[in-house]
Amino acid sequence: MSALPFLFRELLGTIRARSAVAFLLTWLFLFIFLACVSAFFLLVPTHVEPEGGVESLPIVEIRAYLSPRLSSVTIDDLYLDIRERSDVASIQFRFAQELRPQATGGVFLIRPMEPEGAEDLGAILETINGVTEIENVRAEPDQTESPLSGTVRIVLLVVLVAAIVLAFLFARRGYRELLRSFAGEIRTMRLSGVPERVIVPLIVGLGALIGVLAGTLLLVVLFLLHYTLAAPQAAATWAAGLASLGRVLGVSFGNIFLGLILGGLIGLLGVGILGQREFEALP
Amino acid sequence: MIQVSELHFVTEDGIKVLEDVHLHVEQGELVYLLGPASSGKSLFLGLLGAHVPPQRGQILVHGRNVVRLSPPKRLELRRRIGFLPQGFVPMARTVHENVLFKLRTLGNYREQAEEKAILALEATGLIRQQGVSATELSNLDRIRLGLALAICDAPWLLLVDEPLEGLDASEAAEVCAVIDRVHTGHLTVVVATRGPLPALTREHRTVSLLDGRVSDE
Repeated sequence: MSALPFLFRELLGTIRARSAVAFLLTWLFLFIFLACVSAFFLLVPTHVEPEGGVESLPIVEIRAYLSPRLSSVTIDDLYLDIRERSDVASIQFRFAQELRPQATGGVFLIRPMEPEGAEDLGAILETINGVTEIENVRAEPDQTESPLSGTVRIVLLVVLVAAIVLAFLFARRGYRELLRSFAGEIRTMRLSGVPERVIVPLIVGLGALIGVLAGTLLLVVLFLLHYTLAAPQAAATWAAGLASLGRVLGVSFGNIFLGLILGGLIGLLGVGILGQREFEALP
Repeated sequence: MIQVSELHFVTEDGIKVLEDVHLHVEQGELVYLLGPASSGKSLFLGLLGAHVPPQRGQILVHGRNVVRLSPPKRLELRRRIGFLPQGFVPMARTVHENVLFKLRTLGNYREQAEEKAILALEATGLIRQQGVSATELSNLDRIRLGLALAICDAPWLLLVDEPLEGLDASEAAEVCAVIDRVHTGHLTVVVATRGPLPALTREHRTVSLLDGRVSDE
């Protein structure tokens, strides 16, 4: 029978007021660290729908698809005619297949001189014999500025570093208190021939548990934010990352994994303390 | 059975603590190892108990050569050896919980551990104090608890280091009586002490460790 579950319960049972406070603070600072990391992934720049919808965006390119039956001479003539127009800034020929895999024939990529006159230009091009379809390519909607300004990013980085340092400091303090209360048990285990591969996982496991709990708390917080704050209006602005369930899920599970790793590292601090003389089997 | 031959031990400072030690202890035998302070008694028990890695010589404990055992095998052997260290400090639990903790740690199920704990506490005369906090025990009862911990999981060998330290004559006699009581069947017992030994009722052997050498008295 493996003694690990029993020993882990006993170790948890040894947590007293002072070590409990230290471990609670470790948990809190790990939570803050993970929250800062999440902010970089969830508060991202987003596209804003223009007031008049996508149709109100200026046309930057007109694609005039040509009939595959047109001869190369006709295409050349058409090319020259369009290029001569005063409302055309530039024209390029491409094979239609380059833009649409199933298409045949050619396509003119025309840049209008003025975006305002592009609608009229498109209408004129549509009437040309041999042009089968006109496609207007509109400008990309403006990106909002990132909700994380340069200053906010610096503050987040400082908080992130401070949080992890404090988490490690409080963890060390917590482990020192806890292991002092558990010293007799560790001596007994070592005296009885319990291998280190049983003792060490207990200590690392406690750190990993704290890390996972910090990640889990953040998962709960992110899901609460997802269902409350990330309403459609908010989704269009700073909380767009929170509106995406997939992103929230990805970040949450990433946090739990990161919490597990950091917690494990914190646990190794405790393992370092085990090397002290007071934990040796024989004085 | 214990067979020690040509055992040497030199400290990091170059002090020869054990020099060509030979000792044979039959299975079920009770041996008192007498010697002055710093004569190497604790080190000798540490070597027998597979706590201290030997430097030179051979130590056979129940057919296992401690010198050649791999670390996992050495730990396995340590599980079969009950050890009461010098200046034993119990865990801050009740007497019963102390014994129960050790038994559960060694993989015993709760019911099995409960039974073994009761037997060990009865053997050492601590059954009435099983609910008392171990940190409140007298010196004598602390030694009793150490013995209970050492014998609770039916060891092959019991090693007891300085059990009479800080006890008066009557308490020392009581500890020796408890050791006599637990020394039953096939259990081999080695007790290291500065002495003097009280009048012992049971048959036993006394050897002395002086100037790094062990000799029968």
